[in-house]
Amino acid sequence: MEKLKKKIGSFSFWNWVIASIIFRLILIYFPKNLNLSSRPEVSTPLTSFRRLAEGYWLKQSSMSSYAGSMYHGSPLLLSLLGPLTVKRIEGQPNHLLYSLVSVIADVVSAMLIRATGQNLRLAYLRSLESLDLVKQIDVSEFLFSGDIAALIYLCNPFTIVACVGLSTSPIENMAVILCLYGACSRLIPLAAFGWVIATHLSLYPAILIIPVIFLLGCGPDSPPRKLFLQRHQQKEVLNQLKLPPGFSWGPIIHFAFWAFLWSVYVLVLCGISLKQFGGLWEMFKSTYGFILTVEDLSPNIGVLWYFFAEVFEFFRNFFLIVFHVNILFMILPLSIRLRHRPCYLAFVYVAICSMLKSYPSVGDSALYLGLLGWFVNELADMQFSLFLFCGYVGVSLLSPVMHNLWIWRGTGNANFYFTTAMVYACLQIVLVVEGVSAVLNHDRKLRILITGKP
Amino acid sequence: METFINPKSLFHLLLLPCLLLYSSIAYNSSPVEAAMHTNNWAVLVCTSRFWFNYRHMANTLSLYRTVKRLGIPDERIILMLADDMACNTRNKYPAQVFNNENHRLNLYGDNVEVDYRGYEVTVENFLRVLTGRHETAVPRSKRLLSDEGSHILLYMTGHGGDEFLKFQDSEELQSHDLADAVKQMKEKHRFKELLIMVDTCQAATLFNQSPGVLAIGSSMKGENSYSHHLDSDVGVSVVDRFTYYTLAFFERLNIYDNASLSSLFSSYNPSLLMSTAYYRKDLYKRRLEEVPVTNFFGSVMETIHTDAAYKALSRRNSGRFEDEMSLDQSVHHIKRRMLIKVNDGDEIHDINPEGEEGASKCPWSTFRKKFQKAENVDSLLNYGLVAMIPLLVISTWLVQ
Repeated sequence: MEKLKKKIGSFSFWNWVIASIIFRLILIYFPKNLNLSSRPEVSTPLTSFRRLAEGYWLKQSSMSSYAGSMYHGSPLLLSLLGPLTVKRIEGQPNHLLYSLVSVIADVVSAMLIRATGQNLRLAYLRSLESLDLVKQIDVSEFLFSGDIAALIYLCNPFTIVACVGLSTSPIENMAVILCLYGACSRLIPLAAFGWVIATHLSLYPAILIIPVIFLLGCGPDSPPRKLFLQRHQQKEVLNQLKLPPGFSWGPIIHFAFWAFLWSVYVLVLCGISLKQFGGLWEMFKSTYGFILTVEDLSPNIGVLWYFFAEVFEFFRNFFLIVFHVNILFMILPLSIRLRHRPCYLAFVYVAICSMLKSYPSVGDSALYLGLLGWFVNELADMQFSLFLFCGYVGVSLLSPVMHNLWIWRGTGNANFYFTTAMVYACLQIVLVVEGVSAVLNHDRKLRILITGKP
Repeated sequence: METFINPKSLFHLLLLPCLLLYSSIAYNSSPVEAAMHTNNWAVLVCTSRFWFNYRHMANTLSLYRTVKRLGIPDERIILMLADDMACNTRNKYPAQVFNNENHRLNLYGDNVEVDYRGYEVTVENFLRVLTGRHETAVPRSKRLLSDEGSHILLYMTGHGGDEFLKFQDSEELQSHDLADAVKQMKEKHRFKELLIMVDTCQAATLFNQSPGVLAIGSSMKGENSYSHHLDSDVGVSVVDRFTYYTLAFFERLNIYDNASLSSLFSSYNPSLLMSTAYYRKDLYKRRLEEVPVTNFFGSVMETIHTDAAYKALSRRNSGRFEDEMSLDQSVHHIKRRMLIKVNDGDEIHDINPEGEEGASKCPWSTFRKKFQKAENVDSLLNYGLVAMIPLLVISTWLVQ
C-alpha cells in the first residue's frame, strides 16, 4: 500500500514537472514574452536581459561592456549568453534560445532541490532513529520534502515569471542551489564551484559560506547535538556509533582549497576578457561597486530605491553602510542559534538577502520559496501561513496595478508603489520570523519528547 | 684672484643665461606652430540690396557653389545674402539665379543654405560672426565656430570704395574695423590661416590694414571693378569680372587637383579684368606655390596614420588597422598631397603598410602580440568557459 502511494506520488511529480515545462514553453511563445521583461518586479539593473544584450553589443564594438552603466553583470555571462542575444531563428520568438536556457536552468535547479531534499529527509529520519523517537513520531506521515520543494520551485508563479521574463535570476538561483547541493552531498569541488559562481554573479550569496561550512563540518540538518547527548545519558549507554559526528575541519580546508582554485580560475578568465578595458578593478567597480553603492534608483520591489532617492548626499554613505550592515548583523546571531540546521540557516540567509538586497526581484523570492519546501515537515506548525500566502498573492497582484497607476496613468504616485514594496518586505519579515520560531519550536518539541520536561 | 674674473670667463658666464633665454623664447614660440589644419570654413558675404545688384548675389552664390563642390559642408559655411534675388518679383526666372547669360548653371539650386538673409546682413552681425561674440540666443548655424586649426575663406562683394565697403545701402564697414576684427580673431586663435577675397571697387584698400593674413582684392585704389557681361534676358549684369575669372579657374578644377594659390593669383589678367587684382602676402609665411587652392576653397584633409589601432569599427577590420605607419608630421607638401590622393573614397584599408615591424626575436612578445589580437582573446575565453564543465565533473568524480 505504501509502495503504491509512493509510486503514485512520484508519478504525479514528473507529471507536474512536465506540465510546468510545457506551461513555460507556452508562455514563451506569447508575443514578446508577455512584456514581462519590462516589469520592474522581474528585471532589475542586475538581472535584465536587455542590458546583457547591450553589454554584448558594446563588447562586439570593441568597447568596454560596462560603458554607459548599462550592464552590471559578469563578463563570463556575457561570453556565454551574449551570442544568444543576437541569434535569431526564423519564425520563432526573438529570445527563444535564452528562454530555453532559463527553462533548462529551472529544471536543473528543481532536480538539484529534489536531490538535496531527499538527502535532508534521509538525514532527518536517521537522526530521529538515533534519538529513538521513531515510534513517537509518525514517520509515515512525513511528506517527501524533496519532491515538494522541487514542485514548489517549478510551479511557483514567481519562478515562471522570472524564467519567461528574460532575467538572469534562474542562472543565479541555479548556482546557489548547486552550492547547497554540493555541500549537502559532500561533493566539495561542486560546492566550491557553486559558491564561487554564485558570489561572482551577484554579491550576496557570499554569506552562504557559513551554512556551507556548517554543512561540510557537521552534516545536514539535525536536531541539536545536546539532545543526542541527553538521550544517551538517559539510556546510560554511550553508543558512539549512533552519535552524529562532531565538527570536523578537514572538509573545510578542502573546501577552502577548492574555492580558492575556482575563484582564481574565474578571476583569471575575467581578467583576460577585460584586459583592454581596465581589468579586474573595472569589473569590481561596475558589478560589486554598483551593487553596494546603489547607483540606480529605478523602482523595484525592494525598499532601497525610495529611501536613497530622497536621502541627502551628505548622509548617503552612512545609510549605505546601515542598509548593508543590516544584513551582516543578522548573520552571527542566526548562525549561533541555527548551527545545527545549516540548510535552514541557508534558507533564512537567502530570504534576508532577497529582502534587503539593493535590487531585489521576484526571482530571488522564487529561490527562497523553493527552499522553503525542504522544511515542510519542520514548519508544519508555522503560524500565519494562510496570512502569508494571501499576502503574497495580494502583493503580486497589486504591485503591477500600482506601478501602472503611477507610471502610465499618472493618477498615483511613487508612494502607491512603495506601499506594495513595503508590504512585501513586511511579509518576508513575518515569514522569516515565523519560520525561525517554528523550527525552534520543533526542536523544543523534540526536546520535550526526549526529556519529558518543557 | 685676478685670474678668476677676467673678460673671457665673464663672457662665458654671460653666454649661458643668454642661451637659456634664447632657448626659452624659442620654446615659447613653438606652441603656436603646433596647431594642425583640421577644418575649413568659408564666410561669404554679399552686401548689396536691390535688383540691379543681382551680380553681387550671383558672385556670392557662385563662390558658395564652388566651395561646396570642393568639399566644405554647409555647416562650415556662413552665407550672408543681403537681398533675395531668386524670389524677387522682378526675376523672370523665379527661384533661379544665374551667373552667365547661357543660363547653364542655376546657382540657387535646391540645397542652398543661407544663414543671414535680408536685413540680418549688417556690419554688426558681420563683425559678430568674425569675432564670435554673439548673443546667447544665436543658433549654432549662424556662428563661426572655428578654432586654431581652421583655414577660413572670407569673401566679400558689393559696392565699396576707398577703405570701406557698403552694407545694405545704409551703413559701411571700414577697413580698420575689419582689421580690428581680424586682429581679434588672431588673438583668440580663431583661425590658422585666413584668406580675404574682396570683389568691389577699390577692393585692395579694404584690407590694407589687416595684418598677417593673405588677401586678394579685385582692384586697387582708384580703380573700379567692373561687371562682366549683361544678360539681356534677366535684364541685369549677372556676374563681376573678378569673380567670373575666379570661377573660370575653379570650374577647371576638381577636388583632387593640386593647383596652387600662386596659379590662381597669376591667372588674373589685368586687361581682361579691367583692373589690377592685387594681393598681399607680405606677412604670410608659406610660399604661394606650395599652397593648394583647396587649402581655402575646398576642404581636403590630410590624414596622419598613427600606431594605435582604431578600435571603434567592427572587429573584422580591426586586424588591418594594426599595421603600423610611422607618425611623420614633417611630411613634405607634395608627399602630403599624394596621401590625400590615395585617401579618396575613405578606403582606409587600402593603405600599404609601410615599415611593418619584423617579427621580434623574443617568443614571449610574439605570443603576447598574438594574444592581444581580439579574436584570440575571445576564443581563449570561450575555451576557458567550456573547460570549466569537464573540470568540475572530473574533480567531483575524483574526490568522491
